[in-house]
Amino acid sequence: MDPALRRRIERRFGERLSGPVRQRHDETELRIGAGDAGEVIRALHDEPEFAFTFLADLAGVDTGTTMQVVYHFWGASTPDWLRLVVDGLPRDDPRVPSVTALWKGAEWMEREAYDMFGIIFEGNRDLRRIYMPADYQSFPLRKDFYLADDAARSPGAGVRHMEQTHAPRNATPAATVRRTRA
Amino acid sequence: MTAPTGTRGRASSDDPRVMLDEQIGVFEPIPPYPPRTEREAEFYTLRDGEMFINIGPQHPSTHGVLRIVLKIDGENVVDLDPVLGYLHRGVEKLCENADYHQAICYLDPLEYVSSLFCEWPGVMAFEKLLDVEVPRRAEYIRVLSSELNRVASHALFMGWMALDLGGLTPILWSFIERDEIVEMLAALTGQRMLFNYFRIGGVNGDLNHEFLSRLGDWMGRATAQIESNTALLNENEIFVRRMRGLGTMDSETALRMCMSGPNLRATGVPFDLRRAHPYSVFPELEFDIPTRTEGDCLARYLVRLDEIKQSLRIIDQCLNEMPDGPVMAKLPRLLRPRPGRAYAGIEGPRGQYAAYVVSDGTDQPFRMRIHDPSYLHLQSVGLLMPGHLIADAMAVMASLDPIMGGVDK
Repeated sequence: MDPALRRRIERRFGERLSGPVRQRHDETELRIGAGDAGEVIRALHDEPEFAFTFLADLAGVDTGTTMQVVYHFWGASTPDWLRLVVDGLPRDDPRVPSVTALWKGAEWMEREAYDMFGIIFEGNRDLRRIYMPADYQSFPLRKDFYLADDAARSPGAGVRHMEQTHAPRNATPAATVRRTRA
Repeated sequence: MTAPTGTRGRASSDDPRVMLDEQIGVFEPIPPYPPRTEREAEFYTLRDGEMFINIGPQHPSTHGVLRIVLKIDGENVVDLDPVLGYLHRGVEKLCENADYHQAICYLDPLEYVSSLFCEWPGVMAFEKLLDVEVPRRAEYIRVLSSELNRVASHALFMGWMALDLGGLTPILWSFIERDEIVEMLAALTGQRMLFNYFRIGGVNGDLNHEFLSRLGDWMGRATAQIESNTALLNENEIFVRRMRGLGTMDSETALRMCMSGPNLRATGVPFDLRRAHPYSVFPELEFDIPTRTEGDCLARYLVRLDEIKQSLRIIDQCLNEMPDGPVMAKLPRLLRPRPGRAYAGIEGPRGQYAAYVVSDGTDQPFRMRIHDPSYLHLQSVGLLMPGHLIADAMAVMASLDPIMGGVDK
């Protein structure tokens, strides 16, 4: 844990944080809304007191109620991993600004998050599916994804998913979605 | 007299008497749907003199099941579009439906040439969620076995690299090393490739006699043997002159492309998570971080060679300083971590392997994100290949060393 980093983040982004800066083990976590994401990430990358030059990971998360995009950064200014959670994206239309202007390499990670969660990264010039076939309709890592419903139309039809056994046949999708407050 | 006809309705397509009115077995590179993005539209529009050529999905130099659509002008690559997903198994979704112990065995087949490095970040992230203290002996065994795996992976890389350039001999030589190491690890873990050896809180079994005696034998001759293997390539003028200056990348571009591992170090950035973000017992071990500044194929190859030597140093220290004690922490059989999030990254033979786990308090991970360096390195192929000949483009790809199991998850 690096309390100095926490103080720096609170001083710099104070009113933009949508939750407290949390620290555990070797991780520091901050949460912001989608509207601030572009500016905050640029500041973390450019400003010498942060200088997070290495984008370690970019992941989509479906909490069952909202969508998140989670970035992990490494920087020489701190021994911690920095986790930036862009929180509170609506599940029916999740949109965040793309970071491909800073890290060209994020392009495929954003394509993956789009493919798996349907998150739209505004500014990514090649946002198309990367793993699933082009005619695929749904987003497989979403919590309301059941194979019985939508994969029957896909070329992989006929494969029964273990998740299907968990879902009662007549349950509404909203009743069976696994949720977390994370 | 009539020609004998088969009982099947259709004549075989290699029967010379049969005239086919449609081509069969030829993969049409242009997708049968309208372009989805600007970039796709731009790529699938041909200018004068250009044509498409498919490489893969079944092609030896794609290191797995990968299809690359090349746009070529004569023999020069103009642009390319990798098509992924042929190996996509949905490991992340599988892990969300398995409990924490079961999830480990889904991580193994991600990178089938260096499985221990795929297990490690997952296991480490679970341990962080559970606040488990791993016994020191287990940490040393992890470092020892994974460094062996790193040597095996780099040995295979050297062979593959030469094979993609048209040299058959080195792969036979490097398999001598690799085979000895995987047999050794099989004695330790019970499996040659998909080890499933790391457990939450330790490792599956303590060091045994067969492993140690094999390792002792091998360590005695490893340095000499690796030297002789490398002499086969390093002193080969065709190999060196072909690799030098090919697929050059500078350090800023490499960072912008999110590269890590030997490919980043070959551009002069001494970034190694074992030093940059120390984990396990690496702070106690002595080793150097080999870097090169050229950033070309030869540099990427030589960085890996130097890394083998550093790995041997680490293995030596592990054997000398191996502490006594248990190899597993005491843990309940059913694990229910408190709701929370954990991220763990390690330095593998290809770069940063990482896992991000979200727990919702049940015995299954709520979200398991697996980060694999091959994915990002394959992406930068699109930057490195254009302008090269097709044959050189394959060499560029081999020098980045992507493994399709990890790319496709």
